[in-house]
Amino acid sequence: MMTQNSGVGGTVDSFGLTHRGKVREVNEDHFFVAALHKTLDLRHTSIEELDAFEHLRRSEDHLFVVADGVGTIGGGRIASGTAVRTLVTYIGRTMGCYYSYDVESENEFIEQLENAVKHAHETLLEEFSSKGTGPATTLTMATLMWPRAYLIHVGDSRAYHLRRGRIRQITQDQTMGELMIDQGIMTEEQVKRSSLSNTLSSAVGAEMKPSVGLIDLNWGDTLLLCSDGLTRHVPDDAIAEILAQADTAQVACERLVDAALEDGGRDNITVVVGRMVENS
Amino acid sequence: MIQKKICMVGVFGTGKTSLVQQFVHSMFSEKYHSTVGVKIDRKEVDLSGTKVNLLLWDLAGRDEFEDIPTSYLRGSAGIFYVVDGTRRETFDQIADLRDLVNGAIGDVPSLVALNKKDLTDQWRLGKGDHNTLVEAGLHTIGTSAKTGEGVEEAFIWLANATVKSE
Repeated sequence: MMTQNSGVGGTVDSFGLTHRGKVREVNEDHFFVAALHKTLDLRHTSIEELDAFEHLRRSEDHLFVVADGVGTIGGGRIASGTAVRTLVTYIGRTMGCYYSYDVESENEFIEQLENAVKHAHETLLEEFSSKGTGPATTLTMATLMWPRAYLIHVGDSRAYHLRRGRIRQITQDQTMGELMIDQGIMTEEQVKRSSLSNTLSSAVGAEMKPSVGLIDLNWGDTLLLCSDGLTRHVPDDAIAEILAQADTAQVACERLVDAALEDGGRDNITVVVGRMVENS
Repeated sequence: MIQKKICMVGVFGTGKTSLVQQFVHSMFSEKYHSTVGVKIDRKEVDLSGTKVNLLLWDLAGRDEFEDIPTSYLRGSAGIFYVVDGTRRETFDQIADLRDLVNGAIGDVPSLVALNKKDLTDQWRLGKGDHNTLVEAGLHTIGTSAKTGEGVEEAFIWLANATVKSE
């Protein structure tokens, strides 16, 4: 939970919140919200064109992660926690060299993000390989290097983008239900009535097919990452309204969780909100 | 290995994502998923012994709310324009989209896929339209993301063109 300055043009107001819900005994979700500061503390130089180093002196990126564990009681919590911890450690170790994206290094940067997810996946497999089918987790991660947000997505925890009141789901759920609809085997109604909409077709620690994407943000935009404990209860238009009306990321998170609880809170609920607030 | 960034460009709903899915995963989805931002896929191709890693940037289609951010185009080695043959307006916007792209990154190897070839009985394009594209110097290939017809051919043609233009 934090609010951070992002530097030029505005601030990134971010917050994260998780709740066990009203039914589940254990909260198997985890989240991570961080600002990654990279500073150049210039002491002495003979170089005259110091403007060239300006972007190094004020660089700040943001990392948002939501993971929703799946497994026997308690196992899912371990899986999502292990995945987030491993992911963030990997990113902290490998990404210090990226100050801003450019065409040449951007692909390498994206590969590093993918490698971070693969590393989390392999760690889970190694830790639980002796115990047969181990726990697994969804993982949705946004790395914001203004103005570009890079997204890696596995499972059914979603990322949304809100711009001028219009909300759009960036990620596509990786569930067996979606797979059946895609292949024309079942209709959306049939999937809703089955358990397939809750069965993951891709997860960290199991069969994994990460999807990769990015979006350029404007000041005034909002990013939301959330577990399905929110989206099972709160429709997209209600989410948009809450995000649009909240004055801070913290208030948005609290209202989203409250809305899911009011509708029954049948699952763990986790939300991470990042608001791109333009300097006035 | 050589890496080439290819951007998929067109109006919304023309089948850009489906073409990439067919080419990379040999899959076709019956359900329409609107792309938000950019979806990135990779595929390694062998061009007469030269291995090339294609980075396929599937850009959200132009719609009434959003134009295509030119920042996504930077570093592109090739542009894969997509027209939905059953929607005339998707063809009419190609010239404008090409101006947008050329203004941002200059003239790079390009191709126009005339997509939804499995629905030619519903097409709203004539032979003259094809000639218009050819006269504009654009290579065109008829494709069907659903059946796979022309898909491999189109991507390989563009990959070759990007390598030759080096």
